[in-house]
Amino acid sequence: MKKLSFQEVVEKLNKFWSDRGCLIVEPLDTEVGAGTFHPATFFKSLGKEAWRAAYVQPSRRPCDGRYADNPLRLQHYYQYQVIIKPTVADIKKIYLDSLKALGINLKAHEVRFVEDDWESPTLGASGLGWEVWLDSLEITQFTYFQQVAGIELDVVPCEITYGLERICMFIQEKFNLFDLEWQNGVTYGDIHKRHEIEYSKYNFEEADIEMYSKMFECFEKEANRLADKNLAYPAYSFVLKASHAFNVLDARGAISQNERPRYIARVRAIAKRCADIYISGMG
Amino acid sequence: MKMKDFLLEINVEELPASYVRPALDKLKSAFIERLAKERILHGDINAYGTASSLVCYIKDIQLKQEELCQEISGPPKRIAFDENNNLTPQGIGFAKNQGADVKDLKIKSTPKGEYIFIVKKIKARPAKEMLRVMIPEIIKSISFPKTMKWDDSGVRFARPIESILALIDKENIKISMGNIPSGAVKGLSASAYLKKLQKSCILDQDRRISEIENMIRLAQKKLGMDEHIDKNLLEETNFLVRLPVLMIGDFDKKFLAVPKDVLAASMSKHQRIFTLSRGGKLVNKFIAVLDGKGRDIARMRKVYGNILEARLKDSLFFYNEDMKKPLADLTPKLKDLIFQKGLGNMFEKIQRLEELSLFISEKLNIDHVKKNDIKRAAYLSKSDLVTQMVGEFPSLQGAMGMEYSLKSGEKESVAIAIKEQYFPKGLDNSLPETIEGAVLAICDRMDNIVGLLGSGIEPKGSFDPFGIRRNSQGLIQIINYKSLRMEITGIIRKAIELYKGKLKISPEESEKKVINYIKERLESLAPDTRPIELKQAVLRSGCDDIVSVFKRIDALSEISAEKYFLKAAKVCERTSNILKGAKGEKIGQVNEGLLKEDLEKEVWKAYSANSGAIKDLIKKEKYKEATRVYGEAFFETLHKFFDNVLVNAEDKDLRQNRLAMMQAINKLYANDVADLAMLPQIVV
Repeated sequence: MKKLSFQEVVEKLNKFWSDRGCLIVEPLDTEVGAGTFHPATFFKSLGKEAWRAAYVQPSRRPCDGRYADNPLRLQHYYQYQVIIKPTVADIKKIYLDSLKALGINLKAHEVRFVEDDWESPTLGASGLGWEVWLDSLEITQFTYFQQVAGIELDVVPCEITYGLERICMFIQEKFNLFDLEWQNGVTYGDIHKRHEIEYSKYNFEEADIEMYSKMFECFEKEANRLADKNLAYPAYSFVLKASHAFNVLDARGAISQNERPRYIARVRAIAKRCADIYISGMG
Repeated sequence: MKMKDFLLEINVEELPASYVRPALDKLKSAFIERLAKERILHGDINAYGTASSLVCYIKDIQLKQEELCQEISGPPKRIAFDENNNLTPQGIGFAKNQGADVKDLKIKSTPKGEYIFIVKKIKARPAKEMLRVMIPEIIKSISFPKTMKWDDSGVRFARPIESILALIDKENIKISMGNIPSGAVKGLSASAYLKKLQKSCILDQDRRISEIENMIRLAQKKLGMDEHIDKNLLEETNFLVRLPVLMIGDFDKKFLAVPKDVLAASMSKHQRIFTLSRGGKLVNKFIAVLDGKGRDIARMRKVYGNILEARLKDSLFFYNEDMKKPLADLTPKLKDLIFQKGLGNMFEKIQRLEELSLFISEKLNIDHVKKNDIKRAAYLSKSDLVTQMVGEFPSLQGAMGMEYSLKSGEKESVAIAIKEQYFPKGLDNSLPETIEGAVLAICDRMDNIVGLLGSGIEPKGSFDPFGIRRNSQGLIQIINYKSLRMEITGIIRKAIELYKGKLKISPEESEKKVINYIKERLESLAPDTRPIELKQAVLRSGCDDIVSVFKRIDALSEISAEKYFLKAAKVCERTSNILKGAKGEKIGQVNEGLLKEDLEKEVWKAYSANSGAIKDLIKKEKYKEATRVYGEAFFETLHKFFDNVLVNAEDKDLRQNRLAMMQAINKLYANDVADLAMLPQIVV
C-alpha cells in the first residue's frame, strides 16, 4: 500500500468521520492553542443538543517553537479534531478503526492508552482520558469531557484530537516532521520551515511586550463589553485573542510564575461569561 | 451444602496504571466483607487484573446463605406472665409483634433475671440472588482519586465500564448497573473461563510483575549490564501491559552528554522505557516492555529510538539554556513562585529553611563548616524549580539542583544535600546518606507539614493531595535512619515560629496538631509485627525523641512474653489504677516520716534501693534490663502491700503520702519507657 501523504491523511479522516455522521466543518480563522477552542467544540459541548463534527485546526503554541531545529516540536501545527456528543459506547473501537483506515496495522504495532487527564485552565475545561501511543509515539489525545467553562456537563462529549504530523511521521516512517510529504513530493518543510524559524524568533525575541500587554487588556475589556450585550460569538473571539496574547507574552518570558495563574483566571472568567450567555440563548 | 466457583469480570476502558492495584485490593476485601455479612460461605478468594479487566475469583462459594437462628428477647417473665402463669397482654403482644406463635415463647434466665424470648429462623436465600444485589454495590464501593461519568445513568467510575460478567459455575448472573451491558458466556464454567482469560494474558498482577522483572534481569545479565530496576516504572509498566514482551533498543551515543538523571527521566517518564547501565554509567541502550506477541519489532525499535532521540534533543536544549547562568542567580526568581496558597512564596520558604537548618544543626552539635554548607544548600535548595529542565520534568527537582550546583562550582556536599533533600522518593526507599542532606530533608519536610497542618489542610483517609503523610513518614524515617537525637517538639515550635503568623491556626493549636499527626505516623511506621497496644504504650511515654521510640518498641517487643515484663506491666497497671481513682487529690513528694505500716516502708525501701539503678539503665537505653529490675523490684512487695494496706486511708496525710509513693513508682517507668498499664489483660 502506498504511504499516505499529509493531505491524504486529512482526506481519509474526513471521509472516515463523515461516514460516521460527523459534519466536516472548517478551521477557525483566529489563532488558537488547540482544536478545543473552536466554537464547534467549546460552545457545542454545552447543553443537551447532540452534535458530531470533525475538522482540521491549525494550532499555535508559541512556547513550543524550536527554530525548526527539533524534529518533533513546532509552534504552529495541525490538529484533527473530532467531537462526538453524546459519546457512544464503542467510541474507542471506532477510533481504532480510524487508524486502520489510515493503513496502520494494529497487529504489527502497539496502541497504548496511557492515562492523561486533559485540562485547559484558560477554558475552564477538563476531562478524563488518555494519550494514545502508537509504538511510544503520542498520536492522539482522547478525552471524555466532564467540564467546560467550569460547567459540569450533563451530556458527556468525547473529544478525539489527532496530532496530524505525528500520525504522518509514523505512516511515512520519517522521523523529522519537516521531511513529511505534504503531497506530490512537496514537503512539510517546504511549506512551513521558514515560517517556523521566523515565528520562533518572533515569539521568543521580537514580540513587543508592551503592545501585547496592552492588547491583552483591550481584548479582555472588549470581550466583557460584548458579553454585556449578550453577543456570545463576538465576545468569545476576543477571549481567544486574549488567550493568544497571553501565550505570546509567556513565550517572551514576560509573565512571572506569580502572575501566570492570574492571567489564566482572567481568560477563564471571560470564557465562562461567554458560555453562560451561549447557554441562556439556546432556548 | 452445594459449592461452586464464582467469577466476576469487570471490563473497563484502560484504567490509570496506579489505580489498578488498589482497586483489586478493594474488590477482594469488599467481597470478603459482604459475603461474611450475608452469611455466604466460600473458599479462597482472589482478585486479578490488568488496566482493562478486574477479576475476582472465589472458590467453593455456597449456593445458599447459612441459616440464621436469631434470638430475640422480650419483656421480663414477671411482666409477660401473671401470678397464675398465664400470658399477660404484654406477653401475647411480644409474640404477635415478632410474628411468632405463643407456643414458641421460651424463658431464659439472664444476669438481669428471667426473660421471655423467641428463636426466629431466618430463611436462607440463594447466593445468586444476594450476589446480584451485592455486585453493583461492591463495584460502586471501589474508590478512585478521580472518577467520571460517561452516560446519563449517573454511574461513576475511573473510566467507562464496558461490561460486567458474573458466573457461578456455568450460570450467568445478570447484573444491573446503569446502562452497562451484562456480559454472558455460554457453556463455560467459571474455572474454564478463568483459564481462557489466563491464556490470552498474564492475568495475575503479581505473577506478571515478577515475570517482567525476571525478563529484565535476564536481559541485563545477557548484555553484561548492571542489574538494576526502576521499581516505580516496573510497577507502572505492570499495569500498562497484559502479555509482556521485551525489546532492546538503542539511541545515538552523542546524547549520553545529557545528564544521567535527565536521560533516565526522559526515558522513564516520556516513554516508559528502562535505562541500561554498565559499571554505574548509562549506555546508549534501553529496554522497552511491549504488550503482546507478533509485533513488527524491527520497525517498533526504530520508532522508539527515533522518538527518544527527538526528546533528548529537546532535553539538551533545556540543559544548555539552564546552564547559561549559575544556579545561585536563579534563587531571587523564587519570589515569583508561590509555595502554597496563603503561605507566601518559595523565596520566603528557603529563608525559613536556612533558619531552621541552623537551629537543627546547633541541636545536633554539627560543626561550623558543615553547618554553613547546610545553610548554603538550603539557600540553593529550590532554585532548580525555575529551570526549564525541571519545568519539563518536575520529578527531576533536586537531581537538577545537584547537577547545576556542581556546574556552578558549589561544594560537592552542598550539591548532594540538594539532591538528598527529597529522599525517600516514591517506591525508591533510599534515604539521605550525608548529614547535610538529612538535615535539609528534615527542614523541608517539617516546613511542609507545619505549613499545611497549620493552614487547616489535613489528609482524609487515603486522600492526601499535599503529601502530608508522605512528608511525615519521610521525616521519621530519616531521623531514625541517621539516629538523630533531638527533641522534635522544639523543632516543631521553631518551624511554627518561622512562619511569623502566616498560619491560619494558632501556634499552640498547630503544635498540637503536628505532634499528634507525627505520633499517629510513628504508630503506623513501627513494624506490623509489633503489637499495637505496645506501640501505643511506648508513645504514651513520650515521642519527643523519635530514635528512642523505635528502640523502646523493639526492646519491649522482644521481651513481651517474659515473666518479668508481665510483672513490670502489672506494677504499672496497679499503680495507675489507684492513681486514676484519686483524681483531685493533692499528690506531692513522699514524706518518709509519714510511712507507718511495715509493708509500706518495705515498698519505699524497694524504691530507694532500685530507682537510681533503673533511671540509670533507662538513661543508657538498656530497656530490657530496666524492665527486669523494675518488675522484680516492685511486683511482690507491691502485691503484699495492696493486699494488706489500705491506700485510701481515712487520714488525709497518710492517704496522700501513699498515693505519692504510688505515683513515684508509676512515673519511674511509665514516664520514660512505656505506659504498660495500657496493655490489655495483664496476667502474671
